[in-house]
Amino acid sequence: MKRFFAVVLLLLASGAAAQEKLAIGIITSLSGPMAAPGKFQMNGFRLAEEEINSGGGFTVGGRKYLVELKVYDTRANPAEGASAMQRLATVDKVPMVLGELHSGVAAAAAPVAQDYSVPLILTIPTGPNLTEQGNRFLFRVNANNDQLTRALADFIAKQGWTPLSFIAWNNDAGRGGVNGMKKLLGDPKIGYVGYFNVGEVDFSSHVSNIRAASARAVMLLMDEEPGSLAIKQIRDAGLKTQLVGTLAMGSDRFLKRLDAQRLEGMVQYNAFPPNANVPGIRTFSERYRKKYGEEAHGFAAQSYDGLKLAVTALQKAGKIDGRALRDALAGIEYEGVIGRIKFDAKGQAHPPVYVTQWCADGKRRILYPENLKADCGAG
Amino acid sequence: MLSAVLEQTVNGLMAGSVYVLVALGMVLIYGVMHVLNFAHGVLLMVGAYVCHFFFTRVTESYVLAILLSVIVLAILGIALERAVFRPLHGNLRNQVIASLGLILVFEHLVIAVWGPNALQMKVPATAALVPIGELRFPLQHLLVIGVTLAVVLALFFFLKVSKFGTAIRATSQDRMAAMVVGIPVERIDWMTFGLGTALAALGGALIGPLFLVFPQMGDAPMVKGLAGILLGGMGSVPGAVIGGFIIGIAESVSTLFLPTDYRDSVAFTVMILILLAWPRGLFGVRVRGED
Repeated sequence: MKRFFAVVLLLLASGAAAQEKLAIGIITSLSGPMAAPGKFQMNGFRLAEEEINSGGGFTVGGRKYLVELKVYDTRANPAEGASAMQRLATVDKVPMVLGELHSGVAAAAAPVAQDYSVPLILTIPTGPNLTEQGNRFLFRVNANNDQLTRALADFIAKQGWTPLSFIAWNNDAGRGGVNGMKKLLGDPKIGYVGYFNVGEVDFSSHVSNIRAASARAVMLLMDEEPGSLAIKQIRDAGLKTQLVGTLAMGSDRFLKRLDAQRLEGMVQYNAFPPNANVPGIRTFSERYRKKYGEEAHGFAAQSYDGLKLAVTALQKAGKIDGRALRDALAGIEYEGVIGRIKFDAKGQAHPPVYVTQWCADGKRRILYPENLKADCGAG
Repeated sequence: MLSAVLEQTVNGLMAGSVYVLVALGMVLIYGVMHVLNFAHGVLLMVGAYVCHFFFTRVTESYVLAILLSVIVLAILGIALERAVFRPLHGNLRNQVIASLGLILVFEHLVIAVWGPNALQMKVPATAALVPIGELRFPLQHLLVIGVTLAVVLALFFFLKVSKFGTAIRATSQDRMAAMVVGIPVERIDWMTFGLGTALAALGGALIGPLFLVFPQMGDAPMVKGLAGILLGGMGSVPGAVIGGFIIGIAESVSTLFLPTDYRDSVAFTVMILILLAWPRGLFGVRVRGED
């Protein structure tokens, strides 16, 4: 027994000699239907953690700390999200929590953040309502659906790609997206609107209707899997309509599902062009490729920025306390990989939104915003 | 407009083909064993996964992969009849519950082995596009319809002419009488089950390359196939074929006039209307002893 205490004392002493660690909570999807995008989120957090710690950590109120991530898997399940958030606040007693991908899970976790005064920084969910609940402890680094839609509507109006037709999820993401566009473009500029249920894979009826409506452009409000099927079926049927896609359709990963020939000319909104000739983006993309051996992903960039920003806020707050952190976050202005991050009164940041287009060789160009326009290979 | 109707009719025939393959298997099993096998949709899904496995890991030949998947699923069907349905023989309620349980078992098994994400199955040979007038269809589309029609013809021939087919018909008409004339009804049971699951596997293997291979891919074909069976007349083989095609074409063509999210309601409205006019379905027959 004596020997045991000696060992414990020794360990404690050596622990004190090494740097103290500060745990920050992470909620994400490591398994379940959103495990694949969850990996990008973790990649971003891990890269930021590695950089912060190899740089010697950070100082809060005169004490130096290293970051330690306390990760919980929410499996795209709202109940898991709420309970993980509660555990982080009460058992692990972390000063703040980052992450989540799923808007439903984020909605369940957010009230818990407020109850325990632990700031929650979202880095991926796009449901616009999340930051409309008057929750002062909720912050969002990434652009929400309304912001993305606004940028895209602006772009489409400038191109004159109306009437714009839709194939959209038959859920709040799809219907919300269509309604948002309707509001921004005006009803007369909306063509055929077709909804499909989650799990449906046959888009042939939409193809006939789009052909009959002679639509100038079709927006596909869906994610990767149905997106690749819809594009394949539209192109195979010989339709030459302009295609407009979502975040999920502007990556090398998506290209692998289809081919450059079918994608050529398609545009999509994007939160992060990994190949843009912007110094911050370039260094991030290079580091990311070096560590993970693949193209950097927007979800990773947003999450990377989230953690770096969180640490900056900790330093600024000067103490490890949820309320002080909240105030620090509310006033922060951070120059991140995805652009300038500054939260508005609702906790929503306003990073730039891009529109990229597929080139014939499977690379992408940036078309929007005007001042960042760049040719094939930049998007 | 005409071309849109033509396009949707071809698409409806394609969707209908899959419903027909599911419906045929279910109707054969129902005829012989009087069990509605609700797991038939997941068996279609398992068939698609097995075909995907053979095609991506074992052989380059899509045709061979289909054949192997059909054989594997036939064996699986026989095993299911032996292990699950035969011990529950005579207890319809438990057989139905068991078939519902099998849905969960197979969905989770597939997720455990292949993961929850949809798999792609690229078959270059059938990716070619066939122009018909101003329209273009992937060869795979026409392949699904052609193979289904061929299988339907072969099945009719087999049921009418062959000894085994005649025995299946005899057993579905009257199990007791079939036993009396020396038909080994238990052997007919497992053979029919194997045949039914083989048809489901064919359906899965055929739509795999067109769409994706994923754990829920059999749900819609199962429900629509069942609607086709009811519409055509419970227990009738020609009824299942006509019923499946009617459902497929009705829901496809309806999307030209109605919002596409009404597609499923159209399928079931058609079914209800036909059942109102012909309560036993189009080809339904009065069975002695019923009502």
